[in-house]
Amino acid sequence: MSAYGTTRQPGGGATPKDKTTDYHTALFRRLAWEGTVPVEIRVDPKELPANSDRGLECYYIQAPRVSYLPLLLPEIRRFLMDVVFDEAAASSLKEEDWWFETEEGTITKWHWPLGLIYDNHAISLTVRSSAPPSTAMAPPLRLILHLASPPTEKLMLSPSQEACKQAFMGQLKEADFIRWGSTKRVTGLRKLEQDGIWEGIREHNFDDYWRVASKVTPSASQPVPPPLAGASGHVRPPSTDAPSTFDRDGAYSVRCIPVRVYLPDGPILQEFVPPLLEDGTPNTLYHFLSTHLPLLFPPRPPAPPPSRAKPNPQPPAVPNLAFVMIQGVVSPPEAEMAWLGVCMAGADGWLSICVGINRT
Amino acid sequence: MASVIGTEITARPTATGILRAERSEQFDEALKALDNYKKKDTSKVVVRFKAVGNAPIMKQNFYKITSSNRFQAVIQFLRKELGWQAGEPLFTYINLSFSPAPDDTVANLFKACGTDGHLIVNYSTTQAWG
Repeated sequence: MSAYGTTRQPGGGATPKDKTTDYHTALFRRLAWEGTVPVEIRVDPKELPANSDRGLECYYIQAPRVSYLPLLLPEIRRFLMDVVFDEAAASSLKEEDWWFETEEGTITKWHWPLGLIYDNHAISLTVRSSAPPSTAMAPPLRLILHLASPPTEKLMLSPSQEACKQAFMGQLKEADFIRWGSTKRVTGLRKLEQDGIWEGIREHNFDDYWRVASKVTPSASQPVPPPLAGASGHVRPPSTDAPSTFDRDGAYSVRCIPVRVYLPDGPILQEFVPPLLEDGTPNTLYHFLSTHLPLLFPPRPPAPPPSRAKPNPQPPAVPNLAFVMIQGVVSPPEAEMAWLGVCMAGADGWLSICVGINRT
Repeated sequence: MASVIGTEITARPTATGILRAERSEQFDEALKALDNYKKKDTSKVVVRFKAVGNAPIMKQNFYKITSSNRFQAVIQFLRKELGWQAGEPLFTYINLSFSPAPDDTVANLFKACGTDGHLIVNYSTTQAWG
């Protein structure tokens, strides 16, 4: 139990420190939730039925990062029926045969969140020499909509919302398992709650989603610093940053953080990501990446010992071959993996780290 | 802009010239690193199939499956071994806990959920832990 003599108050009795932590956690979770990506959907011109209104066959959506393609189908269908197709074509529409691919020919997956599809596409552009250097603007993800002959092997799922929901719940459980070695937190949810978390995504409602997600997502409480060996028993003076309780359900108590790393044009990597390193310090983004992708993120050598000429030496610079993008944001190397895992993860519980190559 | 020093010609490229050369060298190094990481993992993982409920038990339960395979391929392999057609219901789980994404690789699943040196895949005819 806690070595500091305080106890956690039930019902979230908030001390000023608790309020600060909760604020930042909520802020980043809200930012991640409200993130959107621009998507342009164009029906393959070769598949446009006769008598379609050509010239209007492009549909633009500013879609939530946490949403999925199957959830966009109803509005795309409405648009096509209202604007593009004539009655004959509209009546023969078979949504179950629809599928999407990017301009580069990559088939987009039904079970990938839109934010991941977008970021994965963005990093694949960083290795194409023909692509212009990235600017501050986010270009729309151009998708081609096919109306027939879906490549079912590559799609792996049907476009139904039910299949998407099953895949989402599966990912939530897998994340739970990675964190704790069991899925009891997710399976312990009542059926109403399990349906409710998916409804939160379908309706894009932050409160509905987090009402349930907060039961299965670890809290972002700070790690307890390891007690100093041979200490005189003197406890660190309290500060707004010092933790006062040991949070068994906290982000720093998980055995492993659910993380996937996406490289341009693959592969997708999954490695053991402990929240704390052997010396008790938090695992950081750079430590994790330099351990598993040292060719792209070379380990930083320590600073040389200080000398008279250089009393304050800096560690030598390492080449910046690649950058890290999480939820579309370039992430600082000192970010803590545990914190990222509970504040910047996707709605399915997984932290998606997209690695892009620097051109400048 | 060049200056001749003795028999040496020292070319002093412009600042952007140096940056451009460094840039493409760095870029090439990054591409080489990516190629390295793209190499398919040819190691094999032992997969242990365990029947659940009324599902038939196979004569052979342990199989060595190449790590880079997606879980989708494992499901197809299992179907073939069971002799089941595509339409017949087959549900698969890892460690009686969750159903993986079909594009999860065997390598990644084993790393995260392997026990006793193998990956346990449960299969059943009905949805159990759906």
